[in-house]
Amino acid sequence: MAKPGGWAGKVLRVDLSTGRISTEDTIEKYKDFLGGTGIGYRVIWDEVPTGTKPFDPANKVVFGVGPLAGTGAPCNGRTAVTTLWPTCWPKPLVASGHMGGHFAAELKYAGYDAIIVEGRADRPVWLQIEDGKAEIKDARHLWGQGIRRTTVEINQQMGPEASVAAIGQAGENLVPMSVVINSYSHSAGGIGGVMGSKNLKAIGVRGTGSVRIAGNKEEWERVVKLHLSLLGANNQHVVPNSPQPWAEYYSAGSRWVASTGRQWGAAEPNIETGACNPRDLNKIAYRTNNAAFFLGDSAWKYTVRGNGCTSCPIRCHTVLKVPKVSSKYGIPAMGQNTCAGLMLGRGFFKTFPDGPKGETAIEACMVGIHLADDVGVWENYGQMQRDFQELYYNGTIKNKIGENEFRSYSWDKYEKGDPTFLFELLPRIAAKEGELATALGMGTGYLLERWSIPEQEWQKDQKVAYWKMGHPKHHANEDAGQCGVIINTQYNRDAQCHSHANFTRNGLPIQVQKRLAADIWGSSDAVDAIAAYTPMNIYKAKMAKWSLLRKELHDSLSLCNWMGPWIASPLKERNYRGDDSIESLLYSLATGDKKSREELDTVAERIFLLHRALTIRDMGTKEMRADHDTMPDWVFTDPAGKDAFTQGTNRMDKEDIKLAMDMYYEEMGWDKQTGAPTPSTYKKLGLGDVADELDKRGLLP
Amino acid sequence: MSHEKEKPQILPETLNLIRSSSQFSRREFLLISGVMVVAVSGLEAWGAKETPLIIMDQAKGLVIADPTKCVGCRRCELACTEFNDGKASPTVARIKISRNLNFGPKGLHAGQRGQGSWGNGLVIQNLCNQCPHPVPCANACPNDAIVVSPPTNARVVDPDKCTGCKMCQRACPWEMMSFDSDANKATKCFLCDGNPKCVEACPAGALSYTAWRDLTDKTPPRVIPTAVVSPEKAQTCIDCHKK
Amino acid sequence: MEQREQISLAMAQIIRARSETGQLVQFEEIWTELTGQGVVKSEVADQKSFLESILREAVAGNEDLEEISGKNGIPHYYSALSLSETYAGILIRKEESSLIAEIVRENSAIYPRPVPLDFFKESPFDLTQQEILDCLGKMGEQGEYQDIAQTTTSIGTVFLYSNRHLDPGYASILAEWFDVGQINSP
Repeated sequence: MAKPGGWAGKVLRVDLSTGRISTEDTIEKYKDFLGGTGIGYRVIWDEVPTGTKPFDPANKVVFGVGPLAGTGAPCNGRTAVTTLWPTCWPKPLVASGHMGGHFAAELKYAGYDAIIVEGRADRPVWLQIEDGKAEIKDARHLWGQGIRRTTVEINQQMGPEASVAAIGQAGENLVPMSVVINSYSHSAGGIGGVMGSKNLKAIGVRGTGSVRIAGNKEEWERVVKLHLSLLGANNQHVVPNSPQPWAEYYSAGSRWVASTGRQWGAAEPNIETGACNPRDLNKIAYRTNNAAFFLGDSAWKYTVRGNGCTSCPIRCHTVLKVPKVSSKYGIPAMGQNTCAGLMLGRGFFKTFPDGPKGETAIEACMVGIHLADDVGVWENYGQMQRDFQELYYNGTIKNKIGENEFRSYSWDKYEKGDPTFLFELLPRIAAKEGELATALGMGTGYLLERWSIPEQEWQKDQKVAYWKMGHPKHHANEDAGQCGVIINTQYNRDAQCHSHANFTRNGLPIQVQKRLAADIWGSSDAVDAIAAYTPMNIYKAKMAKWSLLRKELHDSLSLCNWMGPWIASPLKERNYRGDDSIESLLYSLATGDKKSREELDTVAERIFLLHRALTIRDMGTKEMRADHDTMPDWVFTDPAGKDAFTQGTNRMDKEDIKLAMDMYYEEMGWDKQTGAPTPSTYKKLGLGDVADELDKRGLLP
Repeated sequence: MSHEKEKPQILPETLNLIRSSSQFSRREFLLISGVMVVAVSGLEAWGAKETPLIIMDQAKGLVIADPTKCVGCRRCELACTEFNDGKASPTVARIKISRNLNFGPKGLHAGQRGQGSWGNGLVIQNLCNQCPHPVPCANACPNDAIVVSPPTNARVVDPDKCTGCKMCQRACPWEMMSFDSDANKATKCFLCDGNPKCVEACPAGALSYTAWRDLTDKTPPRVIPTAVVSPEKAQTCIDCHKK
Repeated sequence: MEQREQISLAMAQIIRARSETGQLVQFEEIWTELTGQGVVKSEVADQKSFLESILREAVAGNEDLEEISGKNGIPHYYSALSLSETYAGILIRKEESSLIAEIVRENSAIYPRPVPLDFFKESPFDLTQQEILDCLGKMGEQGEYQDIAQTTTSIGTVFLYSNRHLDPGYASILAEWFDVGQINSP
């Protein structure tokens, strides 16, 4: 049979209990779910019974990539990891982590679209995958080692090109707040403990194969180049953050930070980033420097270069060289990460001697990534750090952990903003050593429960940024008003959705954003200027639906939702329009399965609907509106007491949000009262079997 | 894109010289012919005895790389294979960075003090030197399947002649020969007829297409070649290289 | 080529070359350069009005060439191939005391958002801390700039805004969002 386009063609199934390794045909079994989270949700639905707990052998963890992974489509280096979520509180439900790097591409070249890991090995093992062959190997010599040593030793076995996803001591110790990491700095949060519970230390992949482009290669080149021409900087910000000769607009909040005078200062010799005209596609990699964006301008002098996932020209990770941290802290001068990962170390501290963007803060970040990315501790989008600060400064930690343990931490160092404190904290979290470490490692929901703090306390405090079910807000009303609120209600962890925030933060003036919004969602009323929100309307609901569907689409195709969709572009000659059909163009050409934008969005809707069904099934209730799609009280408050829908506040209104949920459910074809999808919606999207199962359990509206 | 073999241009004088099997120095020859190609199998048409192909003419173009700018995205490898072969394959890619990406060219023997993402961050790009004479891959090919392709004069695998023996792989000290297992053919950098796709694709401007110069003594070898040159070819060396 | 045409072409090239380096150019500078290049014969070199008319023609005749004037009324020229109207607008006002005020008003109106004070230290403004403070001082005294106000974020960064377009509460929350909020919600 001819090799398929896009897909590698096989899903690998590994039963660690029996040692049995088998494969399935991707297209035969999973084509309607594409890949990534699509395959993940399908497997969990079909094979993991309600009531299973994350660390049970019956739980499964699905490493899924999509038909675009491993191709030259820009921004496709993502692996979605779907499983029952250890930090989902009070009851574990399905969720996904995501990791970048080179793992996704290597898996495709090895001949696989996904790996389904089942059962539990009776001793530590690692999974070796090489060009169509998989083998379970003894990992007892690796168990107890950090992520980095594990990776290096597996590379010694498999060769330097192999891509290794490994857990550290945190995952081994079944710490729920733990990660799996590949390619040095690319982590999937929440997964470490699940792998640890299966005694799976790592997965090493080496592939010398290829991914076939089904369509005409000249056309493929044309579409890839079209896509490249529409790219902005990280998060698809499409204007520079300072006036540039070529630019009509600029925005201080943009991640497009290149400019004359800003250099990769630790490159040898250093490299000027320059004006980066968007028409110069050989300069895309210089637009973004997330170390400078997040840590302050002084990070430029420590910047060696950008780094990131296969095929992505954006390079949202920054490779830093900070020589003084070697002598000061005994850690390597080199470190790299992006976004929340980069800021992990800094986030624990309330204050630093030289301010939040000073040198000490940078040192704390270097210590943080050095420790956390090796022992494999997860921060849950900064929630661990916010909880820690709150609990320390309000006296709770002192109360809860007993005098002896309290004295075993150097709190004076902590209060002064001394990064060495992290050496005391992070390894202990990985080792579950002591009450504080254990509690922090459980995730916010379980932490609050353990320490008898009502969830309400966290839900009324905007500062702590908590949303629900043990996880934080993630681009909610402060980014996109009601649309952001809706999105944050939909998942069983923090909503890993960036479709909406990429757009609202892209730096274009509000009138331009409104014009683009009208094209995509039907009216300029879909977006407001931030902190100047207006009452709910149907277009905001359409935007919320689009955002969610595209997030699932990206997670199933392997396209980066931190970079897409591409509805805005930096090009004045296009009136800053991007192209809303980029995903379908790439998909159709790569796979040979021609789908329009609408048709592909329908597949995405099917995938998202399956997530909804899983949530309903495993919660055992159809009362999603009341029991699941909730928002914290702080959303409806304002620190200065301003009213909702006035300028200068992100405050939402309860009645208005009720209307928002009504409109959203209607857009989705779900029952307004319960928020549960209707039988006809399931059937329309080809999930009739799912509806039948839910019907048996009385979970249809 | 095409790496089809073009019929080489041969001046009548050269033909005569070859027919008469007269001995001449390389310099003389080049002076006389002013032409690039020494001998080709096309000569069969003239009834001449088949002489193995020894590439003499130099390449005109070269892709060079700046390792301090490489951001490890691999778009060069993807452009090379997707836009030329219709499939994404770093293994077949004719520019090679994946093998140096994690730990540098020395691989794991450098530990964490090496290069690549796990070392000092430097990614060394490996490119074909478009070797001057003697061209190791071409000379090792028992089928004369590696030829010169005007106008760039890149050394190019003629897929019609390649039998997939992989001798060329063993001949290149820089391990720059690729093997396409789907087609069962060797392949190598052919400079995309003067508009290299890797250069176009690099988002950091780390690659440039420039006038050829000899980098063979500047590029550290990766392996000791173990190719065997056929006796017929080795014999022709004596035509020029005699004491 | 007719001399008029030749001069016109040379003028266009000078403007474009300057724009590529991120600069505007005035007639006087074009004149000097033309003379230096030897494009203009000595007998026409003194004919300012003659050359000015060619320049006007060149600008009118080339789609990418634009004219822009600051408060002092002196026309400057640039090529839209290299410089946006926004950027040229900043350059033309660099010497003007109203530059900061106008940038702040524009940002407050169209995006809308306040502008960090330090913004004006960077290219293409290139003002020193003292120059910025002096400018703010002057603005404080003049009636026409009473709309320019300050707000400080929780980490001490000063932002400027125009209260014609943003009220203090709005400016404050936006400044906090750009300075702190976006970083804490990566």
